[in-house]
Amino acid sequence: MPSKHKVATTEELSDGSRVIAEIEGQEIAVFQIDGDYHAISNYCVHQAGPLCEGKLTGDMYIDDNGWDWNYDDDEKHITCPWHGWLFDVTNGENIHNSKYRVPTYGVEVEDGDIFVIR
Amino acid sequence: MGQSSETADGSPLRQLDELDVIVDTDAHIRETVEDLIPYIDDRYEGAKWIVERTEHPERDIYSLTHSLPPSLHAERGGWSADTNTVDKKLQELDEFNIDYGIVDPGLNLVLPTVNNERIAVAMMNAYNSWLLDNFLDEGNHRLKANLLVSHHKPDKSAEEIDRLANEKDVVGVALPSTGVIPPVGHERYDPIYQAASDHDLPVFFHGASTNTSHVFPLQRMYNQTYTEDHVIIHPFSQMWNLSSLIFQGAPERFPDLDFVFQESGVGWIPYLMWRMDDHYLEMNYELPLLQQMPSDYIHDQIYFTTQPLGHTEDNPKHLAMAIEMAGPDNIMYSSDLPHSDFDPPSELFNRIRSHFDRETVENIMGKTAMDLVDL
Repeated sequence: MPSKHKVATTEELSDGSRVIAEIEGQEIAVFQIDGDYHAISNYCVHQAGPLCEGKLTGDMYIDDNGWDWNYDDDEKHITCPWHGWLFDVTNGENIHNSKYRVPTYGVEVEDGDIFVIR
Repeated sequence: MGQSSETADGSPLRQLDELDVIVDTDAHIRETVEDLIPYIDDRYEGAKWIVERTEHPERDIYSLTHSLPPSLHAERGGWSADTNTVDKKLQELDEFNIDYGIVDPGLNLVLPTVNNERIAVAMMNAYNSWLLDNFLDEGNHRLKANLLVSHHKPDKSAEEIDRLANEKDVVGVALPSTGVIPPVGHERYDPIYQAASDHDLPVFFHGASTNTSHVFPLQRMYNQTYTEDHVIIHPFSQMWNLSSLIFQGAPERFPDLDFVFQESGVGWIPYLMWRMDDHYLEMNYELPLLQQMPSDYIHDQIYFTTQPLGHTEDNPKHLAMAIEMAGPDNIMYSSDLPHSDFDPPSELFNRIRSHFDRETVENIMGKTAMDLVDL
């Protein structure tokens, strides 16, 4: 049966910031991005690095014209500080290969408190 | 070498902490030019005068360039890490439960790109003096180190080896090997090898894609990304150097000297070994220097460090099989910390622990290195 674990208040978590909490022996990070909250394991499936201690970044992509490089500065990708693997914090998927996936968790907000459901 | 998941006492190795010792055979530090200037010897005062007035020494003394900036993504970046103290280096070893580190330079991997020979010799000398003063004289014997030598002036490098070879915790000689022209088998380097052999110090060759311009200028001109450059330059360098070393007879001239090739992983070794053996058997008339098969010289005198292992997760057995083909007795774990393509010990251990017997795994993770450098 999943239970709720308070990790922060909404005042504490500004846009683009994060909190890393230990919940039942596992480190889980909660990010606030554009007013939404995303919970993801602080564990890189590559070599077990502390994934959520890295930078949030956007994404480089090729333009429809096939030539220009564009940078999407929607910073929702967490960069593992060990080797730079990138995961989308909204779904836990590696941005280059969806077979690599980090666990994500539900988040609830009640009366200004942020809870992770696990 | 044994190939078995069971050990002599019937218990397979399962956990890293069952190992007696882990040795990192490529433990980088990050020295700055500012660190080294006070250590430039008085006899090189002209070189010092120039270096200390140089606003951008990494590009105007050294020629450190990339195709694009490396590691924009990484916080553990080789060029931005502050691993220039003993405490910082030991913290890195501790983070990954590594017992000993064989220290190699950071910036001075780029030494072959220094155009001015007098300054190259002065910086070599300064690095070694700084290294001893700051890393080896601190009384913590977990850090061992290679003396830096310059390919520019082999006679001066031999003097440098003679100067410091007997210092405590000096275990080898580092010849940065990308940009060494002609490549390392040429007899002009014999003074370095003679001095290393006299002092029973193995010679370590470490490549660097920072040096591409000075050895593969066409590749540097046309590689549009750091990735294209970095992927090929390390193995290009080491393939050329290993081939040069063997076919120009260096192991034959220095039969008591060991050589170590660093930072190209292991996948290229069996390929090149097969290819060299094949040519030796076919091209006898141009290879009278050799008295045995190239692979025999490799088994007798050549070692390899493991990082970067590459992405071997799709079939973990393949890495162990590559090591088996290369010759596991000559393979040694390396991390490359603090650089952003480092391999933690688990990355190697988890691939090999069930493929080889316990002794072979222990040797690869540390004991072969301990034997090689008399730890």
